[in-house]
Amino acid sequence: MKPLRFPPVLTAPGIRRLGLADVAILCLVGGAIAALIAFAREFEAPFRQAVQIDVRPTALPRYTLYSLARGVIALVISYLFALGYGWAAAKSRAAERVLLPMLDILQSIPVLGFLPGLVLGLMSLFPTRNIGLELAAILMIFTAQAWNLAFSFYNSLKTLPDSLRDACKVAGWRASRTFWQLEVPAAAQGLVWNGMLSMAGGWFFLMVNEAFRLGDRDFRLPGVGSYMSVALDQGNVPAMALAILAMVTMIVCVDQLLWRPLVVWVEKFRLDETAGGEGGAPATSWVLEFLRHARLPRRAAQLRRRAYRTARRAARPFERPLAVAGPVILRAPRFAFEHRVARLIGAALLGAGVAVAALAGVWQLWLLLRHLGVREWGTLVGSAALTFTRVMGAVLVSTAWALPAGVVIGRSPRLARLLQPAIQVVASFPAPMLFPLVVLLFERAGVGLGLGAVALMVLAGQWYILFNVISAVAAIPEQLKDAANAFQLPRLARWRSLYLPAAFPALVTGWVTAAGGAWNGSIVAEYMEAGGTLRTTPGLGSLISDATAHANFPLLAGGIVLMSLMVVGWNRFVWRALAGWAQTRFGMAQ
Amino acid sequence: MTPGPVLLEARHATQRFRLPNGQVLEALRDVSLSVCEHEVVALVGPSGCGKSTLLRLFAGLARPAEGTVEYRGRPLDGVLGAAAMVFQSFALLPWFTVTENVAMGLEARGVGGAARRDAVARAINLVGLDGFEQAYPKELSGGMKQRVGFARALAVAPEILLMDEPFGSLDPLTAENLRSQVVDLWRDQSTGVNTLVVVTHSVEEAVFLAGRIVVFGSHPGHVREVLVNPIPYPRQERTPEFEAMVDRLHAVLTATLLPEPAPAAPQRLIPFPRVHVSEVTGLLDHLLTRPDGKGHVFELAEDLGVDYDRMTAVVRGAEQLGWVTTPGEIVQLTLAGREVMAMDDSARKDALRARLKKHPLFGRIIAMLTESEGAVEDEEVLADITIYFPFIPADSLFQTIVEWGRYAELLDHDAAAGRLMLAEPVEGTSDIRAD
Repeated sequence: MKPLRFPPVLTAPGIRRLGLADVAILCLVGGAIAALIAFAREFEAPFRQAVQIDVRPTALPRYTLYSLARGVIALVISYLFALGYGWAAAKSRAAERVLLPMLDILQSIPVLGFLPGLVLGLMSLFPTRNIGLELAAILMIFTAQAWNLAFSFYNSLKTLPDSLRDACKVAGWRASRTFWQLEVPAAAQGLVWNGMLSMAGGWFFLMVNEAFRLGDRDFRLPGVGSYMSVALDQGNVPAMALAILAMVTMIVCVDQLLWRPLVVWVEKFRLDETAGGEGGAPATSWVLEFLRHARLPRRAAQLRRRAYRTARRAARPFERPLAVAGPVILRAPRFAFEHRVARLIGAALLGAGVAVAALAGVWQLWLLLRHLGVREWGTLVGSAALTFTRVMGAVLVSTAWALPAGVVIGRSPRLARLLQPAIQVVASFPAPMLFPLVVLLFERAGVGLGLGAVALMVLAGQWYILFNVISAVAAIPEQLKDAANAFQLPRLARWRSLYLPAAFPALVTGWVTAAGGAWNGSIVAEYMEAGGTLRTTPGLGSLISDATAHANFPLLAGGIVLMSLMVVGWNRFVWRALAGWAQTRFGMAQ
Repeated sequence: MTPGPVLLEARHATQRFRLPNGQVLEALRDVSLSVCEHEVVALVGPSGCGKSTLLRLFAGLARPAEGTVEYRGRPLDGVLGAAAMVFQSFALLPWFTVTENVAMGLEARGVGGAARRDAVARAINLVGLDGFEQAYPKELSGGMKQRVGFARALAVAPEILLMDEPFGSLDPLTAENLRSQVVDLWRDQSTGVNTLVVVTHSVEEAVFLAGRIVVFGSHPGHVREVLVNPIPYPRQERTPEFEAMVDRLHAVLTATLLPEPAPAAPQRLIPFPRVHVSEVTGLLDHLLTRPDGKGHVFELAEDLGVDYDRMTAVVRGAEQLGWVTTPGEIVQLTLAGREVMAMDDSARKDALRARLKKHPLFGRIIAMLTESEGAVEDEEVLADITIYFPFIPADSLFQTIVEWGRYAELLDHDAAAGRLMLAEPVEGTSDIRAD
């Protein structure tokens, strides 16, 4: 049986070296946190009644669709962002130097901490309607989706063969045509696979995004996440079960109706032809088959073409002024990029801008953080140590089951083919929705939240390890497996000398992402309200949640800054060294 | 056809690239070359001599760092519209059909509607791809793919056809077939193509196609010599005049690739060619089988199935170790070479160790290591190499040094720590046997 192909291994954040740009960016990001929080403090919201969530089952389909719409809108924005960001980073060496480390840090920090500032800020822009809250929720989903897409697009652009670019240039293609017909198609596969992961990541904080408390204010949006949190508040078990069912249904539907067809369709855009021929059984999608056989899409394509032509005709009067203005508009940036003096001035301005913004950020942060006394800092550091221990524990526990499971699944194409779709759906399910159930279960068994939180963080991070191990083991060259068979390696030796070393580089990548997920998860895992009672356990996550609930902004800022520093620092100094070692020692490239 | 007025001209063109490790590589230095109308010009030379770089300058895909490139007396600004290009790797878009690939260049040239369909059909017909219009590149063989590449270039009826090793990734039969078709296309007035510039690795190909053959030298790339090839078209291989021209080009290439050592400076630091131990011993082995232990470098290349570029690198390596001499184009096994092949493995390593200690480059590195008590950071060695050989990628030269040093049990390398060390003298092999 031919091996099954697996999604490309996630680009791990934080594998890069720490540079001056990182420091500047950390300052900028810190400043942004501070500025948002400061903005929120100034703001006095008029008292508003929170949206009433209807817990009757009949309301659930509507709520699920609302949530789905938010996810899809955020995904569209994420794709647009990824195309722009990845393009800029790949095309300009100067931009690359700033944008890449920034992406890296954005991917690593707990974005949930931005929520209060974002919500208050956006609500002040739209005080009488829910738009502010909606925008905030969409933006929060966006922050969970965008970074790996941007990385994926950037990587595709960087690995595009030069000869294809040359061919397009010789053919006289404009940059825009090269972008849509060469660069985007070449990146399509990575963009679709990463879009799947992004969509799953976007659901993670669904409950918090749709319903959260800030001080005495209660913010709610209609959606399946808020439905679940209301059900939790009321201790309404049937409603909880229904919400979970609705979520699973939505995930399965999106998988079948959107991702499967896309995955099959983008096979067309493979650059390496050889792998396409022998890469295993071609994936199939009943939806895509249906669409291919249906007449409607063809009719729609005709209509689209006709509409395009009409639009062109309508636009004709405007073409002349555009044709005059176009070259000027195009020449200005070219001049700015190519003229030496202009470039120097531009670089100096940009550098000065970044420096000023970084300084302003640090100042803002200082204004907030100086309210924190020595005792608070002591609490912060102590909590950080506790949560750090939990994160490492979660990584350990996840590895303990996901590594053997991944090896077993990865080395058997049949098993992989059977299990992969199921695993994908399960992995897309937002773990926080299961947290309350797990906590209640643990309480029955007499285990407190201090340990229970570890289990929750395992739920948040384990899949990354499993996926990476499966794809690494599945990618072991057939000849190496044949050699192991030919020399009749005993089972234990086979694991020790083949499977584990081969999986190790991918395992490290999985650890980076899993630890990131666990840090993020700590914010909801260490602080939980269910059935009207609040359960907390000391830790950085609960500190952040508590600071949010009590509108203690200096503490919130301190917590987020500390968590960001810990994640980024650990990535840069520990994971990076480990990943480098794993690659040189166990990499498959010879 | 007699060459007409000058079409393309490079004047004192110099081109540099920055490698990822920060080293600046000079690909071309002060190259001046003109291409006239109705001419076929072949650019030949060792890899890394900048011939493809020059082709990209002609196409307007890059601008020279210094000097100018002109088309009909006017400096190029952007991609040259009068030219089309054929690539070694075909460079077809996998998600476009044959028709769509062929039509790639037409829209930008303002050819639309029925005219575009005609142009595409004509180009597809010219290269004999009728019936494959709706096929995707992955359904085609290498030769068919390159036909699409040619059709795409011909569809825009270019004045100049630039070809970057167009037959390089095809099997010999397909290459020969396509090669004669290219000459036919060029002689056929109706295609509009009247000037060809081709980069090639094959001596026969250059002689078959070109009226003028430009031989490049490397490090940095420069024009060594220009040969005029007066054989009338259509050319036949295996004719005496063809063979004579091939021999002449061989001689020029050999002089470029295997320059006679400068007698004045015997201790001058020379880079060791980037070849493997097994390649050099393979060459010696092969020479042993030949009468008098000698052979023509191009025959050797053919016998061993490597291109002449690689072959000369191996010969230069063997020569630097004193195992062969190269009078002209002949490679002659030396007495030392015969002796070393008669030895068993450990004696051979001893002999190589003695040779390498006397080699200027290895000698310098050993001296460096001895001064630093037997171990030096990789970076230090790389910096040293870069200073002495600025035009050679330091990493690959370093790897070659490590491989030869390891084989001779002279050097040792700790990849994890990034350190180069003098090898610990091993106390014979008797310990192992005692085990």
